[in-house]
Amino acid sequence: MNSDRRGQPLKILLVDDDPAEHVLLRRTLEKVEGPAIELDYVGDIASAVASVKAGGIDIVFLDNRLVPNNDFRETAPQLREAGYIGPIGIISSDISGKYFQQFPEFGVDFRIGKDEIDRTAISFIISEYTRNQLSDNCAEDFL
Amino acid sequence: MPEAAYHLGPELVRAVNRMDFFRLFKALAVNQQCRYFVLSEVSGEEEGINLQHPHALHNLPESWLKGTNGKSLGADPVIAEARRSTAPFPMDLARHPSVLAHASGAKTAIVVPLHTLAAKRYCLIMFGEASLPKHEAMAVLALDAALIFQRYYAVILSLDSVSGLNEREIQIVRWTSEGKTSAEIAIILGLSEHTVNSYIAAILRKLHVVNRAQMVASALRSGLIA
Repeated sequence: MNSDRRGQPLKILLVDDDPAEHVLLRRTLEKVEGPAIELDYVGDIASAVASVKAGGIDIVFLDNRLVPNNDFRETAPQLREAGYIGPIGIISSDISGKYFQQFPEFGVDFRIGKDEIDRTAISFIISEYTRNQLSDNCAEDFL
Repeated sequence: MPEAAYHLGPELVRAVNRMDFFRLFKALAVNQQCRYFVLSEVSGEEEGINLQHPHALHNLPESWLKGTNGKSLGADPVIAEARRSTAPFPMDLARHPSVLAHASGAKTAIVVPLHTLAAKRYCLIMFGEASLPKHEAMAVLALDAALIFQRYYAVILSLDSVSGLNEREIQIVRWTSEGKTSAEIAIILGLSEHTVNSYIAAILRKLHVVNRAQMVASALRSGLIA
């Protein structure tokens, strides 16, 4: 999470070529407890790259297959190459493919099936990927 | 929701991070008509369980935890019984109201004690609306929970006791020794800052050090980096 944006809503970017998924995720997010959440939506990877370059995105939910791209192995690295260092989660209606296990190698933080997304899963993702894992004496000014 | 036994299929061996195990334990709970679950280490201290611990997994809403009004979770009848038991058991919440699960309207708690090779006690607690499971169902559920937990131990928990650093961890120590921040290392390696910090947290535990400077010094002394 961008530490310089504390107090502002958590910004999630959904990248999915099916606009219906935007509606579904927005409805789910309305039920999530905790920090205020703002949902941005784009339908292709080029727009997603432009969004993360513009800054302010805390978490990206990236659909596995974005036409005309192949799968996350082709799209997630584009977000990293654009300098995005926030968490990327791959969402898909089918995450049973064996290649999904390689997700850490492609700069992806987690994967989740679309049928598994509900308010408790979103809460867990937010809590897990925005918490500070290192104690204060591990702050970078101690370097 | 995922189909029955999803948590025991290929996804079990493909689980690689805490999010994957959250999904597996949640699927197990949902299969028991339990909407909520908690996996936590059981301590001998008054609190009983610590949901803030880095190894705890749960999907309880934040408001429930606030709803305990700062009361020790150890006083909750479900937690108290979990601390005393070494065998799985169901609990009728109408007879033993749980402060923790009160807001859920759950009728039943199912508790499965678990343990690691390093003799640490954990427990899986599920809250749901189904009636109390029968003996045979409890046995199958306990086995399923143990299988997922065994994998959780192998992939996540055992890292605390593994010595030596893997290739990625050595890369991160090397870049830290060059004065790079987590964000800079994330850009260099094409990872998230969260992933880099996860690696650093694991390295600190493995090297028994407390900060980045000591991490680099220890790695240099032991020849992990030149």
